[in-house]
Amino acid sequence: MKIKTKRKILNTLFLLFPLILAAHGVSSSDQEILNNGGLLSYIYVGAKHMITGYDHLLFLAGVIFYLKGFKDILRFITVFTIGHSITLLGATYLGIKANDHLIDAIIALSVLYKGFENLGGFEKYLKIKSPNLLLMVFIFGLIHGFGLSTRLQSFDMGTAQFLAKIVSFNIGVELGQILALIPIVFIITLWKTKKSYTAFYKAINMYLIIAGLGLFLYQLYGFLNGH
Amino acid sequence: MKKTFFAIVVIVLFSSHTMFLKLDSYFLEPNSSVALQLFNGTFEKSENIIARNRMLDASILSNGIRTKVSDSQWTEKDSITILNFQTEDAGTYVAGVSTKARDFKMNAKVFNEYLEHEGLYDMLEWRRQNNALDSNAIEKYSKHVKTIFQVGAIKTNDWQTELGYPIEFVPLENPYNLHTGDSLELKLLLNGKPLANQLVYADYKNPKNSHSHNALKAAEEHGHSHDGEVNSHTHESKESEESHTHTSGQKLRTNEEGIIKTHLFADGIWYFQTIHIVNTQKEELTHESNWSTLTFEVTHTHGEETHTHEHQHETNNSIYIFLLGSLLLIGVLFLWFNRRKNENKN
Repeated sequence: MKIKTKRKILNTLFLLFPLILAAHGVSSSDQEILNNGGLLSYIYVGAKHMITGYDHLLFLAGVIFYLKGFKDILRFITVFTIGHSITLLGATYLGIKANDHLIDAIIALSVLYKGFENLGGFEKYLKIKSPNLLLMVFIFGLIHGFGLSTRLQSFDMGTAQFLAKIVSFNIGVELGQILALIPIVFIITLWKTKKSYTAFYKAINMYLIIAGLGLFLYQLYGFLNGH
Repeated sequence: MKKTFFAIVVIVLFSSHTMFLKLDSYFLEPNSSVALQLFNGTFEKSENIIARNRMLDASILSNGIRTKVSDSQWTEKDSITILNFQTEDAGTYVAGVSTKARDFKMNAKVFNEYLEHEGLYDMLEWRRQNNALDSNAIEKYSKHVKTIFQVGAIKTNDWQTELGYPIEFVPLENPYNLHTGDSLELKLLLNGKPLANQLVYADYKNPKNSHSHNALKAAEEHGHSHDGEVNSHTHESKESEESHTHTSGQKLRTNEEGIIKTHLFADGIWYFQTIHIVNTQKEELTHESNWSTLTFEVTHTHGEETHTHEHQHETNNSIYIFLLGSLLLIGVLFLWFNRRKNENKN
């Protein structure tokens, strides 16, 4: 009975965090688009993946929260872009991929990390200084890129124009990232002028910790149960 | 000597291409676009496309209506020939392709290797017993392939309809009424009549592991020609050679009624293949063969992840739950932090 109850709870959790399936699953409709749409379809699927790939966006939202000014945002986003482009292009070209669930679990931890850092967790609870953010954003960029590469490799890409297809997908990812970042930057910037910004800041970052942890457990559950 | 041997092996390995009809998912939604892939090579990798004028028949059978596929519905990607079509009403669908016969000339050694490679042991044994191992061969061959897939939840009876191909598998029950762990009987027909004592190979592939592409391997591709089609193939690795073993999986033999019984012990896309080859006295020929394959998918329970249509709805609903849950959580956290801030002020 207890085992059944545990299983029910796990299954409920599984249902509560299913966006990963939609955001990251290789859908037959995407495969069909790629089969028939040429290089443009790779740009489209790359952009779609980034816009619906909420874990990448949650991490970026966390990074943006910490920054002051447009120049800073541009600098950090550029480093993140360089990081994920390196592994996306390199790993896909070389055919290196990880287990879907494990790489997504690490990406989920990056979301948790950013929320924890933004709330001053390192100083408050670990009594240490936060690691260099620019370096961490680069490292997490590499990890996110590896996740994107693993996803891209789940598609049947064929062998013709192989490199061009990877580059097109990467271009799509960047376009999707820009499109998704516009409203995020807009909302955060707008709220900064409000009195309630501190509560908003804490609420969002606490949410990042909870969401990161939830997604991490979800991916671990998926890995262990073969979902 | 080594070079000669290698050349023979290469010719043998790549001179025979099995044909399969494949889908990414065999569980589809009604009124949805589908890209049905025609592989000519192995189940894993297609070696060349099939020209439309080589197809004697390409048709889709659903809800009792057989629809001929038009040439404009075919496209190509790399070495895969793709049939694009729209599903209509729910039902169990059948798609089939039958090709024109072609001749293939082989010297005795290559022919023996080919028989071994394709698992055509009966013919090889016949050649041994009749001192014919040194005889060259001109084989007339044609391929006839089918796939069965499920659209929506309603099961219909087209799975049992014969397409009238020279050779074809016909299941004795709807594969989509079965689950992993069940057994299935299939009847093998040659010119519409049960074909007894025929070797059949049954294997499966888990769709999760079915994609493979490697840029480095692709870079090492080389070209060769077969079936009159220009094609290319990678064969630098052990994996590649293994993937050319056309006779993996269960080795079965039809009974007197042309029936095989197979245990569908795992989730995945199941594929059945057979080559019926006979000696012939026809002019300029030594052998005649008919190749047949059948594919369909088996899952452990219905309504789970391989059931795209149901799973998609579940996922869509879950997305809303997730988004609403996230907004609710952020809202509650915001109110709580805001309240605490105000309390601290007071």
